[in-house]
Amino acid sequence: MSDTATLTDTELAYVQRSPIAPRRPPLAASGAIGWLRENLLSSVFNVVLTVVCALLIAWIVPPLLKFLVIDAVWDGASRADCLPTPERPEVGACWAFVIERLGFFTYGFYPIEERWRVDVFFALLALGVGWMAWLSAPRRDLGVIYFFIIMPVVSFVLLIGVPALGLPHVSTAQWGGVLVTIVVATVGIVVSLPLGILLALGRRSEMPVVRLFSVIFIEFVRGVPLITVLFMASVMLPLFVPDNWSPDKLVRALVGVALFASAYMAEVVRAGLQAIPKGQYEAAMAVGLGYWQTMRLIILPQALKVTIPNIVNTCIGLFKDTTLVFVVGIFDFLKTIEAARGDPQWATPVTSTTGYAFAAMFYFVFCYAMSRYARFVEAHVAAGERR
Amino acid sequence: MMQQSGSVRPGLKPAPLNTAVAVEMIGVHKWYGDFHVLRDINLRVTKGERIVICGPSGSGKSTMIRCINRLEEHQQGRIVVDGVELTDDVKKVDEIRRDVGMVFQQFNLFPHLTVLENLTLAPVWVRKMPKHDADEIAMHYLNRVKIPEQAAKYPNQLSGGQQQRVAIARALCMNPKIMLFDEPTSSLDPEMVKEVLDTMVQLAHDGMTMLVVTHEMGFARQVANRIVFMDEGQIVEMNAPEPFFANPKHERTKLFLGQILR
Ligand SMILES: Nc1ncnc2c1ncn2[C@@H]1O[C@H](COP(=O)(O)OP(=O)(O)O)[C@@H](O)[C@H]1O
Ligand SMILES: [Mg+2]
Repeated sequence: MSDTATLTDTELAYVQRSPIAPRRPPLAASGAIGWLRENLLSSVFNVVLTVVCALLIAWIVPPLLKFLVIDAVWDGASRADCLPTPERPEVGACWAFVIERLGFFTYGFYPIEERWRVDVFFALLALGVGWMAWLSAPRRDLGVIYFFIIMPVVSFVLLIGVPALGLPHVSTAQWGGVLVTIVVATVGIVVSLPLGILLALGRRSEMPVVRLFSVIFIEFVRGVPLITVLFMASVMLPLFVPDNWSPDKLVRALVGVALFASAYMAEVVRAGLQAIPKGQYEAAMAVGLGYWQTMRLIILPQALKVTIPNIVNTCIGLFKDTTLVFVVGIFDFLKTIEAARGDPQWATPVTSTTGYAFAAMFYFVFCYAMSRYARFVEAHVAAGERR
Repeated sequence: MMQQSGSVRPGLKPAPLNTAVAVEMIGVHKWYGDFHVLRDINLRVTKGERIVICGPSGSGKSTMIRCINRLEEHQQGRIVVDGVELTDDVKKVDEIRRDVGMVFQQFNLFPHLTVLENLTLAPVWVRKMPKHDADEIAMHYLNRVKIPEQAAKYPNQLSGGQQQRVAIARALCMNPKIMLFDEPTSSLDPEMVKEVLDTMVQLAHDGMTMLVVTHEMGFARQVANRIVFMDEGQIVEMNAPEPFFANPKHERTKLFLGQILR
């Protein structure tokens, strides 16, 4: 009557006689054709997409390559080398111009014989960034002190100069190009991280005054465009300091950028703090740690680690935003390109395009590197969680 | 309340009589908003005494023991821990937290630190102990909870039972006078409950003052001097284990025991 009546003995009860050894998975689709079929041509929609993308690439890439590489002019001393001639009607990018003006793009009007100081600054910065970015570097605690205190102070002294030490004074009005872009971005990051952490903690504080101040600051700064903050910093900052101590233009812009970045950083850090379970705070309190110890030893290390990708993304935004400082008369990298492309000595039909292409490549290289780093950390943190 | 210390269980000292008070709660009330979560709690725990607290979920057991190290604030009544009254004075709260260890249901180990670092953190930063001494003490307690070989691992690499034993060792490293346990075995797989309970029994043998929220009635019978039964924020019944189990007085106690001892 029942189903069991038709079952054989082995189907009813079972004891394994011999174990089954592991085997390789079956090779369903192998080789390049298999890959193509699976990834590019798996459905009608996918086929259409693939064709459209291929057409797009065919439309964009060859002219770009032709302009940037094939027809490009690599050496030359003046505009004459980059002008079209009867035997060379099509002129590509005038890299000769970029190469000749590279010093200006990098250092602005920084005196040529003092430019080594800028190079040392770049090296100090690279050391600091490397130390911070390498997650298992030795003595990262020292690295933090170096990056947030020692490096900024030494760099400032080095760049501005101390005549007593044999370093002639170089006014910030002479700084320019990549130097200024990097200085603005670095100050933005070095100030905004600690300040952003404090603001994030303040926003979650139990003290109403602290909380209110943090909320007002963050929401106000996030509610206005950077360009407004920059104008305000450059116009209003002098109101808060004595007349005879009017901060110079660059400092005003730096203050504006730093405050702006801090508000964004605060929100990024706050998201990280929210991810930490309440039990971590309770366990820390239960073993007797105070508020600052709990934050420094337990909460922030965990919160910041998961936040690194977002912090780096904020840095990418900040790096690109530095181009706005030109509105308050700062001579950043993009502004040096602007200035140089108008120089009659290099005036050709391709100079501007070349300058902007170079600028785009410069920003792209930095931002893409940061973006890759953020992805790497994300994977690293995820792997750590699976541990 | 007199100690019912007559019951003889092998190896366990009876609760000391008339000795100093470890924890005293007098007329303690607490509210969450309008919700009256603790209602007139009176409890005196003498040094070396082992109290098991049980009761239905939501009856305020966690809230009560968390008031003892001020993870929760009470709003009325007095709580005196080891001679120090809990007030808004932050110094006193810190003092009490140094001397009161706590073990949580979810372990709450610090995932970014190794097992050894979890154990040495508080001795180094709170007790200002030299790192070397802290390491030594940490290894001593890891030996006692029987997992010295896990010192260099991270908490996520351990089983639940091992993590909870690390949590117990972490609390012990501060050399506490009182240990609080909030359902230490409730989130463990069944096969790991015993290893944690064994650790706690051993602690009881060493004379630690313990307040344990648990539904492990075998453990309660074995080590408790007194069992406190809570319901709806009140202490409904309190007695030594034998009379408590054999002869519960209150209707709600009977109902509760009927449910969990089935
Ligand atoms: N932070 C809180 N805010 C509001 N209500 C809470 C909070 N914590 C606990 N409660 C409530 O207080 C009651 C007692 O909680 P708890 O002490 O955790 O009970 P138990 O540990 O006995 O299960 C429960 O009804 C719970 O919902
Ligand atoms: Mg509870």
